[in-house]
Amino acid sequence: MSGGAIVQPQSKTAVAEERVVRYTFQERVIHWINGISYGYLLFTGLAIFTPYLAWMGTVMGGGGTIRYWHPWIGLVYMATIIQMQRMWRSDMVTTDADRQWSKNIEHYVKNEDDQMPPVGRFNHGQKQFFWVMFYCVFILLVTGIVMWIPERIPRSFHWVLPIMVFIHSAVALVTIAAFMIHVYMSIWVTPGSMKGMVEGTVSSAWAKTHHRLWWQRITGRKN
Amino acid sequence: MSNGTMEIKAISGHRGGTPGGGVYDQSDGKTRSGTSRDYDVCKLVDTTTCIGCKACEVACLEWNGYDFRDTTFDNTYQTMPDTAWNFWNLIRFNEDTDADGNLQWLMRKDQCMHCADPGCLEACPADGAIVQYQNGIVDFNQEHCIGCQYCVTGCPFNIPKFNDQTKKVYKCTLCSDRVGAGLEPACIKACPTGCLHFGSKEDMLFEANKRVGQIKANTSYKDAGVYDPEGVGGTHVIYVLHDATNPERYGGLPRDPRIPFMVKMWKGPLKWLGGLGITLGAFAMFMHYVRYGPKRVEGEEEKKA
Amino acid sequence: MTNGWVDIKNTDMMLIMGGNPAENHPCGFKWVVEAKKVRNAKLVVVDPRFQRTASQADHFCQIRAGTDIAFLGGLINYAIQNNRFNKEYVSNYTNAALIVNKGFKLPEDGLFSGYNPATMAYNVSSWNYEAGGNVTGTAAAAIAAGDGPATADTAAQVAAPQPAAMATGMGHAAGGPAAAKASPGAAPAPPSLPPDVSYDTSLEHPRCVFQLMKKQFSRYTPERVESITGIPREKCIKAWDMYTSIRKDGDMKKVGTIIYSVGWTQHSNGSQIIRTAAMIQLLLGNVGRAGGGVNALRGHSNIQGATDMAGVFDILPGYLKMPVPADTDFATYAKRITPTSAKPKEWDSFNYWSNTSKFAVSFLKAMYGDKATKETDWAFNYLPKIDRKYSWVEQWDNMYRGTVKGLMSFGMNGVAIGPNSHKNINALKKADWLVVGDIYPEETSDFWRSPGISDDEKKQIKTEVYRLPCAGFAEKDGTFVNSARWLQWKWAAVPPPGEAKLDQEILARIFLGVKALYQKEGGKFPDAILGLSWPYANPNNPSLTEVAKEINGKTLADTHDDKQTPTDWKAGQQLPGFAWLRDDGSTSCGNWLYCGSWPDAGSNTQRRNPDDPSGLGIHPTWGWSWPANRRVLYNRASCNLEGKPWDPTRKQVWWNEATGKWAGNDVPDFKVDSNPKDHMGPFIMNPEGVARLFVPLGPMADGPFPEHYEPIESPVVNELHPKQSNSPVVKKYKTDMDKYGTVADGYDIVCTTYRLTEHYHYWTKNNPMNVQLVPEPFVEIGEDLANERSIKGGEKVKVTSARGTYIAKALVTTRIKSMQIAGKKIYQIGIPIHWGYRGIQEDKGVTGLTPANLLSPTVIDPNAYTPEFKGFLVKLEKA
Repeated sequence: MSGGAIVQPQSKTAVAEERVVRYTFQERVIHWINGISYGYLLFTGLAIFTPYLAWMGTVMGGGGTIRYWHPWIGLVYMATIIQMQRMWRSDMVTTDADRQWSKNIEHYVKNEDDQMPPVGRFNHGQKQFFWVMFYCVFILLVTGIVMWIPERIPRSFHWVLPIMVFIHSAVALVTIAAFMIHVYMSIWVTPGSMKGMVEGTVSSAWAKTHHRLWWQRITGRKN
Repeated sequence: MSNGTMEIKAISGHRGGTPGGGVYDQSDGKTRSGTSRDYDVCKLVDTTTCIGCKACEVACLEWNGYDFRDTTFDNTYQTMPDTAWNFWNLIRFNEDTDADGNLQWLMRKDQCMHCADPGCLEACPADGAIVQYQNGIVDFNQEHCIGCQYCVTGCPFNIPKFNDQTKKVYKCTLCSDRVGAGLEPACIKACPTGCLHFGSKEDMLFEANKRVGQIKANTSYKDAGVYDPEGVGGTHVIYVLHDATNPERYGGLPRDPRIPFMVKMWKGPLKWLGGLGITLGAFAMFMHYVRYGPKRVEGEEEKKA
Repeated sequence: MTNGWVDIKNTDMMLIMGGNPAENHPCGFKWVVEAKKVRNAKLVVVDPRFQRTASQADHFCQIRAGTDIAFLGGLINYAIQNNRFNKEYVSNYTNAALIVNKGFKLPEDGLFSGYNPATMAYNVSSWNYEAGGNVTGTAAAAIAAGDGPATADTAAQVAAPQPAAMATGMGHAAGGPAAAKASPGAAPAPPSLPPDVSYDTSLEHPRCVFQLMKKQFSRYTPERVESITGIPREKCIKAWDMYTSIRKDGDMKKVGTIIYSVGWTQHSNGSQIIRTAAMIQLLLGNVGRAGGGVNALRGHSNIQGATDMAGVFDILPGYLKMPVPADTDFATYAKRITPTSAKPKEWDSFNYWSNTSKFAVSFLKAMYGDKATKETDWAFNYLPKIDRKYSWVEQWDNMYRGTVKGLMSFGMNGVAIGPNSHKNINALKKADWLVVGDIYPEETSDFWRSPGISDDEKKQIKTEVYRLPCAGFAEKDGTFVNSARWLQWKWAAVPPPGEAKLDQEILARIFLGVKALYQKEGGKFPDAILGLSWPYANPNNPSLTEVAKEINGKTLADTHDDKQTPTDWKAGQQLPGFAWLRDDGSTSCGNWLYCGSWPDAGSNTQRRNPDDPSGLGIHPTWGWSWPANRRVLYNRASCNLEGKPWDPTRKQVWWNEATGKWAGNDVPDFKVDSNPKDHMGPFIMNPEGVARLFVPLGPMADGPFPEHYEPIESPVVNELHPKQSNSPVVKKYKTDMDKYGTVADGYDIVCTTYRLTEHYHYWTKNNPMNVQLVPEPFVEIGEDLANERSIKGGEKVKVTSARGTYIAKALVTTRIKSMQIAGKKIYQIGIPIHWGYRGIQEDKGVTGLTPANLLSPTVIDPNAYTPEFKGFLVKLEKA
């Protein structure tokens, strides 16, 4: 379990704002390696997926290069996800409260957060996102390896190739959907999150608003 | 010999229509696509007269400038188990017996079939890496190849082969360089028995059917037939087989080759659904933001309030 | 070939046996395919293995190697029993009607009449025709009188002195190795053919050739053939029925061809196998006809040329016989080798060999120029005389025995083409010197590197080896003479690399060096060397154009001849054909058969006009074929007695009553103004004028009819005559290296050797392209044998004969089956010959370094001296 220390404000001039550590340095590094590699995979994958997005591949280094690096970066991506799972295993456990939260998702979408039950370090949406990405990476790995070295697949098993390609693409689309929500949520819907993932700290108020149970736990306060 | 036009018919991984301005028609001075001069070229491989001499293998290597390679004896007359990125033309030797129990030694020249509906081209994401000409030749352009090997996935005949060094995929070009210059492919030129023929698809089908009729009427091979599989829209390499009902006997010639269903799903619905989903999703999020905006942190609300 | 490659397209039926043209002649095989595709011709293939040619067959029979005569004899029997022959052709164009001597005996016990066990040779005087007139209609009386052929009891012949060779069999016909035959030897008064031969055109006289033949082959019943050859009788009968179906009830419209190669010649009775085929073709009336004939496929691009130019020790160019010591002067020699016509009195015979002296004198003029005059007896005494056999195997035997001291090996790889390579290697160890002209280091030049020779032993080898850098085939010009007897000029594609020299330069410089030595030092008989005509612009490097023109021949004096057009000739003109040759010294010609190839107008061998007006594949203006540019030999036989083509859709030649001459799409192989009424026989090279079903007087040393004998190494005894299992005239060699195996010694498997499409003899193992296609030596083993011995495909196996061991990987195949021979289960394996101990893979150490001919026995055919590479005994183990 990580995060949680109260940090005294650094600035002497600014209005003192109480900040709490949301992600450790290690967590941030892992996240951003993961995020950047996903971005690379996303752009290169889409470039190979449809000619209409082939320009993305050009940006990423051109056809042959992206085809060469995509699988290697995929391995990096998978490694960081596994590391995340190790770091956040306990934080990602789905609880009864999470289920309750999900039942009220409509309020969350409508920003009626006062109607939502309080959540811990991650809300159920974040947890689901994580698990989607976590499980998908294994599917992408297996299908991706087959696509990586199709010539090594014995002739009698060549019939699996198109299935693998299809699954790889379809699962990638699932992760893209999840990823879009993730990015939208973090950048636009919950301002301050980005700072948490970049600098490591969020305001105490932010923490109290979005992750009240976690805030209570790390600060030891009730209100 | 005229060999139909090398005008481009289809291009892999290309957005929008096929470039190219059609062909100048001398009769009326107009330029149009698909003039009367257009016809499909075709190789006819009569397996019933193939003696497996491998002249085509050598001619292919020599014309295309590939080095001879080390091979290992593998309990067969076949040069190697499969075609390779630099060995596009392989005679497959298969020992078998016919319906009457007589020995048969089936020899089939294996190479790219140049499908009218090419799975490689369908699967290829790289703009211009695979080109189909109006005359039916499906050609790889390694300059544009990205080495993804989706063509391997798309091909029902297991033809495209990957070169680990160059990271590109290669296959028989139907000697597009020779055909474009009015010559027959190198394998045809080298064949000593006249088992290989080259001409328009129409003529080759006529020849093939004539030969099949002769075989049926004069030999014990009553199941002889032409192999020109519909599943891939017909091919520009067609076979005369002693036993067209069991093409698998000829070293795994697929009975009903098609572009794999999943490739079609992937390149069709999934691609469009995916694109649509991403676009709609982005739009929906934007609308969500417009409608609800960002979430407020309690303190800020309090401050503002 | 009596016919030609292109001519195969005219056939309706093919028997390919003793050859594998799809494998070894893939370019020529296109005409087989053409016949199948265009004429719906049928193809019967008989071979020890189901090979590439068999893959194209309508019917295939797997035969035990070395039992071909049994199968073909069965075919003759079937044709006669089922009236599948043409009586008009047989009785008028072959010697079927001729009556044979009373003393002649068929080989029911394995021996013809006249056998002398001490010399292992026949006294052939009983193998002759009976003199007399037409005895047609007397058959019944003869039978009543018991006037049949002799039997074992009545044929006790007194052993007369060994007769000399006589006549020429099929004359210039086959062109195969069998074409060169006849055993030389001194003999005072050889028996000769009677000038007027007794005959019975009803073919019923018990001693006429036809009845003898019928009797001889009546013993080859389907049951017997099955038991000898291992081919199930229903398959035999199907093959026989298929092949003879072209002659149902004697109808002559259709034509069948027989195509063979060294699978027939390389047996201890190879020449007789080919004779059996010739008999079938004569019986069925297929010889001389488009789409017919007896067609030997030659194994090298120019082996036909080599044979024509005296590639065998007992002939001179143009199949003139070598002089023997008894030929004390030219007249004696000419008399011995010039046959006189021997025929039924009412018939005519051209007897073309009666011109022999013209060919021989012109040849001597070409050899010795001004030294050959009437006064010097044409310098006849310059020619070597042969006192015994100097065939290939005998030369090596002599070297091994130490009497041959040196070897010049050009255009061949003597050790590898063995038989019994180990003996050849050991023979070379004993030689003083060895000169090898080749483009690669090979098994002969590197004999001292053969496996099993230790470094110490290498130092003991005293043989001095010279390697001369030769040019490859693409670096030389000159002619190739193909199987179809076509002379085709070829131009050099590239110059020889480095210090490589053309063959003619090497040979010329050696010759001139030897000549200089003779000039300086004298020697035993310098005249033959010093007197050799050497009229080349550059004596050190004669051009092949000069040589080709010299071989064609020219006039040496202004001449006048009323019979030829034009009638007058100036000295020095190139001759247009052998009809112009004279025996008065006014013409010279290196090879009479090639006369006409390079007339004054220029080389006919360089013609490349593909026109074929008749559509019969004659292509009269493409290259030039001997003799006289005719493409099908004996083509007079393509017409019936009246001179009309048997099949009007395939008109080759015909009698033109209006002009009183023979005309044709092809050049008539006949006396051009011989009216059919004169009944001149179409086989003009025989003194009889007709073809020989029965060969009188011993050109065939092992019998006037073919008879099945087992190979020298056989898994069974001969069912026909167990006491005479092998050919009675085939001798075994006697040195310690000449070993022969038996089943009792554990050699239980029949082994045969052959070539592959992907390789060419022993030199493509140096070419990466060929090596890629088939990288390693292998042994083809049938599935059932492999299962019995637990051998898997790709495993190394060891094949051992009484003479040596061969190691290679196993190719396990369904294409060779076990056989039931005389009630015993017999296995057969096959070995491609292409590897040795020098080559790409050999030098890498990938292969077993064992030439295939380490296994084969030193045994040769008594007529053509070809070794028995097919059908010897081995054992097979895992290596």
